[in-house]
Amino acid sequence: MRALLNAVKTGFTEIWAHKTRSVLSFLAIAAGSVVFIDAFSAIFATYAHLERQKQVSGMARMKISQNYSQTYSSPDDYVPPPVFRYEDVLRLREKMPELYMVSPEGRDWRNVLVYGEQRMTTSLMGVTPEWVKRDFIYTLKGRFLDWHDVENKLRVCVLVKKAAPPPGNSFNKSMMKKYNFTGGFDMLVAHNDMVGKTVNIDGFTFTVIGVLEELPYSKRPDTIMGRGQEYKVLAPVTTLVHYNFIGQQSLDINIDTGSEQNFDESMRKINNFLKIRFGDGDFFIVENQLEVIRERIAASIKGALVTISLGMLAFIAGGIGIMNVTLATVFARTREIGIRRAIGASRRDIMLQFIVEAVMLGLIGGVLGSALGYLWGVPIKVILGMGGSPIKPWMPLVSVLIAAFTAFAFAIYPAWVAAGLKPADALRAE
Amino acid sequence: MSIKCSELTKVYEGGHSGWPALRGISFHIKPGEFVAVTGPSGCGKSTLLNIIGLLDEPSGGKYSLNGRNVFTLSDLERSDTRRDEIGFIFQSFHLLNRLSSVENVALPLMYAGAGRAEMHERAHALLRRVGLHGKEKKIPLELSGGERQRVAIARALANSPKLILADEPTGNLDSASSKEIMQMLTDLNAEGITVIMVTHDKELAARAGRNLRMRDGRLEP
Repeated sequence: MRALLNAVKTGFTEIWAHKTRSVLSFLAIAAGSVVFIDAFSAIFATYAHLERQKQVSGMARMKISQNYSQTYSSPDDYVPPPVFRYEDVLRLREKMPELYMVSPEGRDWRNVLVYGEQRMTTSLMGVTPEWVKRDFIYTLKGRFLDWHDVENKLRVCVLVKKAAPPPGNSFNKSMMKKYNFTGGFDMLVAHNDMVGKTVNIDGFTFTVIGVLEELPYSKRPDTIMGRGQEYKVLAPVTTLVHYNFIGQQSLDINIDTGSEQNFDESMRKINNFLKIRFGDGDFFIVENQLEVIRERIAASIKGALVTISLGMLAFIAGGIGIMNVTLATVFARTREIGIRRAIGASRRDIMLQFIVEAVMLGLIGGVLGSALGYLWGVPIKVILGMGGSPIKPWMPLVSVLIAAFTAFAFAIYPAWVAAGLKPADALRAE
Repeated sequence: MSIKCSELTKVYEGGHSGWPALRGISFHIKPGEFVAVTGPSGCGKSTLLNIIGLLDEPSGGKYSLNGRNVFTLSDLERSDTRRDEIGFIFQSFHLLNRLSSVENVALPLMYAGAGRAEMHERAHALLRRVGLHGKEKKIPLELSGGERQRVAIARALANSPKLILADEPTGNLDSASSKEIMQMLTDLNAEGITVIMVTHDKELAARAGRNLRMRDGRLEP
């Protein structure tokens, strides 16, 4: 214990006596620390992001849509393909009640919405209450569509209020301003409390029962699948069919089977359902989104691993720096080693001394690096508009520990060289 | 401390057959003796002293220290023997320049695992004994040659050794300091400590109880 304390004291004296050399080796390890913290927080952010994405979007997703790429040998063979109607959705639901979500979507666009004196173009999407089960990144004012609205084909609607573009994305912001993308509908929803008001869409009066306000970018996870094209007005799908907004259009069906285990089984059942109902022609595609989601997650993890390996490389570079400095110290202090051996220091004492010194360099470098890593990750990145890193308290701690361990590992060889010197030879050194 | 050597040889590596520094040396030093090893430069005096002090290993022959065969000692045992039983005094003092006098003296105590208070007390007492009271906080560069050698003597005495090995202890000192140091060694010997001193100086050698004269790696009869 005393030997350790003394090694620490000697270490401080040596570090202080060789300030430049010491600072250079701190910096090497500190750089490693900075990269490592950055990598760690990047990975942490990725994982947290993925977790939230999974919660919001679900994993076991698939989508049924019309197959637009059917080929025909001649124009005469063309038969209009069958259409997936709301009745088919109900039938699928009835056949497969175990599915977590069966959410049909029917779209119309270039609709004209009139509110008081204002006219604006907008786009409509017909949905059911199941729409809210996934990718719900909104807060709701008023209420959402319910089954009563759908069954009775009521002319009610929910308006979507866009979030402000993310900070730092000035290009987007200025473009939106320049081309007045923010005008019309967005301005209407932003500046008026629309719940309970009536609007006229393509000549039909709709009552606004709710407003979905997008969560600000900083607070919401990107949905893995995305919302596709942005739709601004949601109404019961049955209403849009009834009033001929989407007429005989085939609906797209977003499905979440609820769990990854029975995903393949559900997929097979759904394909069977399509075959029985629409025949053998490949009129519909069932898109396996689980695979897509898995691939995206794997890509994110791979990216994270690349980052962390950069961090490790930086540490190794720092470690080699420390090894170099420690070796130089050993050669510069050979006579001292001889003296210490002469007055009774054992090999272990000498090893301990050089390892303690290196670990101190590592610790100081680690602490310095953690401080710089925090500065880089939070204020500097924010100022540069790169977005702050989520640095958790344990990250600097782990980084300091790894820095100390790296220094320890890389000091073993020089310390072993020092301990191996013969006392008589070491004493003769100049 | 009884020291028995027979047919000690030491060959330094280099050249194709090496360079022999000791060519078969036999002697016996009884506890409490004051022995001066003399001879011209390069005759192997320091090599012999390093081997006696366990700082170097002989290439052949027998060496027993207090009845223990030195060849069988592990590195740790050799270190412990150096720490507890042998005190070294070198021509160029070999103090650690970054440490104060008192810290230099306390170093062997630290390696022996002494407590803080004990180290402090003993190191101060030793410095008082060699007449350096009031210079405890000075680093070696702030001391004169004689004072440095006195610090080195205090350090050599830290763990109450039975054997003092002095390699040209007055070689870098003026005659007044030399006298003082020589007196100290004589006093230590009077207390029963075995002293072996390497020197060129015939006058100093004459003050030792016995002289071993060396030439070309051998003892002169």
